[in-house]
Amino acid sequence: MTPELNMLQLSSAKQQLDQEMELLASSIQQLQAAKSKYEESEQCVIAQKNVSENNEILVPLTGSMYVIGKVKDADKFMVDIGAGYYVEKNGSNTVEYFKRKVKFLNEQIEKYTKLLQEKIQMRDSVLEALQFRQQHLLAANSTNLDPAKLAQKS
Amino acid sequence: MASLENTQKKLSDEISAYSALQKDYQKNLAAREQLDSQLNENIIVQEELELLPEDANVFKLTGPALIKHDLHDAKENVGNRIKYIKDEIKKIDVLLKDLEKKQATRRDSINKLQQQLQQAQVKAAVN
Repeated sequence: MTPELNMLQLSSAKQQLDQEMELLASSIQQLQAAKSKYEESEQCVIAQKNVSENNEILVPLTGSMYVIGKVKDADKFMVDIGAGYYVEKNGSNTVEYFKRKVKFLNEQIEKYTKLLQEKIQMRDSVLEALQFRQQHLLAANSTNLDPAKLAQKS
Repeated sequence: MASLENTQKKLSDEISAYSALQKDYQKNLAAREQLDSQLNENIIVQEELELLPEDANVFKLTGPALIKHDLHDAKENVGNRIKYIKDEIKKIDVLLKDLEKKQATRRDSINKLQQQLQQAQVKAAVN
């Protein structure tokens, strides 16, 4: 047999794996939330195509107060690309931008999911080794306490 | 016994120094993580700027206002920012390594002092 880890090392490995799995799972969740935001924005841009010019809309000034506005240009969007930078894009470019973002996030999610599965497998084998050890220990203890064997020894 | 008290005092000093180091380490680690996410964000922005046509209108949010920026300037700014963040990360990494080393030496001396204390206590009990 290969040199084996003791119980303490095994359980600390399990703990570490548990932590890593938790982190990965929450990262995946965050990525998914970001993805659905992008998808929602994409839908909004597509819906905006059907809004004709000079159409009246209500613009929210606060959460509970609106003013009437007119759509001047339904094919011009200001897109937040991060770090405080905004870029003016037309409708199709904006849709393309969101599609690109969603694709990128999908790739990340896939990567993280793969990693998570690997961790789950590793954790399972660590758990198995731990149980194996425990059973051995138990078996060893019970033979030591066997009265017949104890009698033989003395 | 004077030496026993002395060792105890030394031990508690070491422990408080160690926990101060740990706090410092955690603080720097959090800063490192924040820089990392800023770096990622800026890299994504850079990629996005590279995709834009020459005549694209770029704005930067400065306080409450969007200020129009030249695309070239924006690219340069983001590039500089990435460089700056990378430098900061390097600095923090050096700092973190140093703190790790310091923690290890403190841990060693704490272990030693604890052993000394135990031995002294055993001695005191025997006497």
